[in-house]
Amino acid sequence: MGALAHYLEREGIPTTQISLIREHTETTRPPRALWVPFELGRPLGAPENPELQRRVLLAALELLDAAEGPLLVDFPEDALEGADGHDQDLDGWSCPVSFTQQVSQENDLEKLRSAFRREVAELLPWYDLNLEKRDRTAVVEFSPDAASELLGAFGTGEQPEIPKADLSLATALRLAAQDLKAFYFEAATARPGSALPSSEEFNRWFWQESTAGRILKAVKERCLKEGDKSLRLVGTLLLIPLDQS
Amino acid sequence: MAHLDRMPEPMRSHLAELPCPSFKDQPWVSGQSLSRRRVALISTAGLQRRGDRPFEGMSGDYRVIPGDIKARDLVMTHISTNYDRTGFQRDWNVVFPLDRLKELAAEGIIGSVAAYHYSFMGATDPSEMEPPARNLAGLLKGDQVDAVLLVPV
Repeated sequence: MGALAHYLEREGIPTTQISLIREHTETTRPPRALWVPFELGRPLGAPENPELQRRVLLAALELLDAAEGPLLVDFPEDALEGADGHDQDLDGWSCPVSFTQQVSQENDLEKLRSAFRREVAELLPWYDLNLEKRDRTAVVEFSPDAASELLGAFGTGEQPEIPKADLSLATALRLAAQDLKAFYFEAATARPGSALPSSEEFNRWFWQESTAGRILKAVKERCLKEGDKSLRLVGTLLLIPLDQS
Repeated sequence: MAHLDRMPEPMRSHLAELPCPSFKDQPWVSGQSLSRRRVALISTAGLQRRGDRPFEGMSGDYRVIPGDIKARDLVMTHISTNYDRTGFQRDWNVVFPLDRLKELAAEGIIGSVAAYHYSFMGATDPSEMEPPARNLAGLLKGDQVDAVLLVPV
């Protein structure tokens, strides 16, 4: 990020930026940067908090009025009340569908796969409702059915057909895994009146309670055993977050 | 939150090892007051128009995002799985604050919003981004842009 600022500014374009990892910005020394104390993935602070987003945006843009630099300014932490967009109550969020019992009972691969199919089927109506209500989905390439079939088949030892002919298997698995997570998030947050989970709450549910999390771990295990280098790379780095593996 | 020394392993080492160059020179371009500037967003979140090519790897390529894009048409295909995506899934402004930027323009706090915005995929080796960034500078000038907000993820 800081490097891009250097390249553009050298070409005569004034830049300002948001910084998420202060140490990186201290090293690259871009002309103007606002460090923000938010988690990775949320540079403007919190979803559905336009006031906070506006304060962050303005604080970054106002650095353009400074007479000299480089500038690395900290976003004031006392402006952060409610910044995480939920009420801090870790028991406050629950998914409309609970899977714990199903997962613990499914041990062999065929049973795991059928549990996965049931789980996806239970979530689909919530996903559809969410899509209808919000007119937006973060699912990119694979519908919930296509993603779960591809990942379920590969994770349980079959040689799956890739529903998109222009994608390699490695790319298809990676995109399908992200689409599956987006589907689970959108379905799980669709229940009327349900609070938004923090990223931590959502991750705990997805990776530790859902069958989808177990399927993705099986996909990872299989990728690591494949001869194809790009599949091994996907398995090593691009399916399971470091803090969940 | 995103202070390396407060982060648990193995994330801390992973982030500490990302390529992060230092520079000898210190470029600085001044300009007119904020209320007259034309502002573009450049994200490194691997954002793209729905239907455009997904990001595949570390080649320093970028995608073009028209200024009149709607939230339902902007998607994320960054390859990393080590950051939160649920914020973006709920509200694109948490990563790509185009609605907020348009509000500032409507209020006269900034001059105007660019006709085009851009996205790279972060975690790319910065040297791979230099040639495309130079091309981008030309495109930005063609759009009369005189302020860029760079937004990481």
